[in-house]
Amino acid sequence: MTAVSRVAIGTSVLLALIGIGAVIGGLGYGVIEEDGLIGPGFLPTLAGGLVAVFAIGDVIGRLRAKPTLSEAEIILGADAGEVLAEEKAAESDIDIFGRDQKQRTRMLVAVLAILIVTLLLVPVLGFIISFALMLLAIAIFVEKRKWLPALAVTAAALAVTYLIFVVLLRVPLPQGLIGII
Amino acid sequence: MFDNLALGFATAFTAENLLWCLVGVVLGTVIGLLPGLGSTTGVAILIPLTLTLEPVTALIMLAGIYYGAQYGGTITSVLISTPGEAASVVTTLDGYQMARNGRAGSALAISAIGSFVAAIISLALLMTIAPALAALALNFGPVENLSIMILGLIIVVSFAGGSLARGLMMAATGLLISTVGVATGFSDARFTFGSIDLLGGIPFVEVMIGLFAVGEVLHQIRVGAAAPIRTRFRDMVISRKELKKSAAPILRGSAIGFVLGILPGAGSTLASFMAYGIEKKVSPNKANFGKGAIEGVAAPEAANNSAANANFVPTLALGIPGGGTTAVLLGAFTIYGLQPGPLLFETQPALIWGLLVSFFIGNVMLLVLNLPLAPVFAQMLRIPYGYLYPIILLTSFVGAYAVSNNMFSVLLVLIFGIVGWVMKELDLPMAPLVLGLVLGPLFEKSLVQTSALGEGNFGILFSSPIAITILSFAAILTFAPIITRRVVAARRTSEATKPKVDAAS
Repeated sequence: MTAVSRVAIGTSVLLALIGIGAVIGGLGYGVIEEDGLIGPGFLPTLAGGLVAVFAIGDVIGRLRAKPTLSEAEIILGADAGEVLAEEKAAESDIDIFGRDQKQRTRMLVAVLAILIVTLLLVPVLGFIISFALMLLAIAIFVEKRKWLPALAVTAAALAVTYLIFVVLLRVPLPQGLIGII
Repeated sequence: MFDNLALGFATAFTAENLLWCLVGVVLGTVIGLLPGLGSTTGVAILIPLTLTLEPVTALIMLAGIYYGAQYGGTITSVLISTPGEAASVVTTLDGYQMARNGRAGSALAISAIGSFVAAIISLALLMTIAPALAALALNFGPVENLSIMILGLIIVVSFAGGSLARGLMMAATGLLISTVGVATGFSDARFTFGSIDLLGGIPFVEVMIGLFAVGEVLHQIRVGAAAPIRTRFRDMVISRKELKKSAAPILRGSAIGFVLGILPGAGSTLASFMAYGIEKKVSPNKANFGKGAIEGVAAPEAANNSAANANFVPTLALGIPGGGTTAVLLGAFTIYGLQPGPLLFETQPALIWGLLVSFFIGNVMLLVLNLPLAPVFAQMLRIPYGYLYPIILLTSFVGAYAVSNNMFSVLLVLIFGIVGWVMKELDLPMAPLVLGLVLGPLFEKSLVQTSALGEGNFGILFSSPIAITILSFAAILTFAPIITRRVVAARRTSEATKPKVDAAS
């Protein structure tokens, strides 16, 4: 079993648990009211139950999985499927910057971490400054660009954002504790 | 009909609407062109920009992005064999081969012409069918509406591709997410866990920006950038012979595209694959397919454009989105305070007909832009994704904030971005989830009304002939793919084993 299918089964199990939780919650909200009409718990119970049933079905399906023909293969014949699969496989090799899968996964983790830090900084530094730092951080630490072009692109992107959203659309972006922009 | 058309022309031909239509189709072409940025993403992140526009102007622009992206997606498919849009995947098979043979110009020209012809045909059909369907749907009560929604969900699931269980699981998850907050008609807060932000429910524009924009970016970072291949343009001229060869495939593609596009959820991707498959079967030029046959470009390109327009039939007439992008557009309707559904044709004729006429104008603009300018658009491909994705992230978050001036929206975008990324990695279909989320409140409303009508008995669903017809259609759609897949698989295996038997005997 590959790592991906293990994660997939884990996700489906999680969804099944959420579904069961929703059924329990839904039952608490009242599925059928006294007059026989449906109550606020009806849809949560129904949807939660369906999520649980299909998620369990998916887990069972994945455990007994055998390779099936994809939609494209059925319509175009197996060769086309192979061509598309080859293209897909070629994609996951080393990209034009010479980064392999491991490096790109590290990049992804870095971008996620930067995003979370950015959101945490918004109440302190304000929206514009926090996101400027985000663009700079991604450009310099993740994409390894030179300082000067990174600064230029960041400044341009933020200027356009500021013009469109703050000046034109009058969106009150949070200014944080600094309170200038 | 002609009054309506006149009204539509009067609405669409104002300077402002023409300008925004142009902005929409140009942005759409660029968005369709850039790998990792599809029409659904484009529309989702640009909705916040349209908040101050008139609803009709905003919708004209957003729709322009949608069908403009169908043109743009082709350019990358032909030039670098990297489809900008899922609907253009099949175009890579012959389009890229044509480009390698030095016929990139012909390939791009025939897709622009094919797309245009298909757009005009499908628009005429859309303008005829949608109002008739809406008029019919106006007589629908809660029972029929409920069955229509069940049908919509089933169709989306059955055409989303992949396993049926997974599609149904995602549709149910969408419905479940829609139940968060205080529902209309009830006073209880559900699944809010004491959070005030959740009382109003989980807003779907934020969910869509998260799933389609942020999720896609995270996915692309892991996939990595593909190497661009440069193709030189010798000419954008297409020979008369090639045009003649493509005429029938374009017409067939338009028809297939329309039929599949009209079914909610089937969408343009399946239509383009189907058109290619059928063309491959009927063409006298079979051997050339996959080696640069112009029919293999003309038919799927006509089909995906035709399907994109046909997608608006259920979206406008029934309020049930045809695909991912129309689901986002439907979300846009509600942001502008419009209740999508058959009533729109009566209450907002200027909006509906202005929008439909703008499709015509937009497609003319696209043809004029794409015939000479495709090589210019192709220059956009030189922008490295490394510069692009931080800007997509910035636009997504600032846009989400702008929708409701709330940091909670920004947080939701991040959460659903991660959810979207996981779904992408695991190949879980997004369209059913989005549809479940969009339809959730309407679904619950019809459930309540139906139970009131039947005094608590859902057997009333089977007392309406229309509802029975719709539900049986849904049942057929659920089981037919399973059966055909079995049959096809069985035939494949028997074909595969046959030679071995011969060899043994």
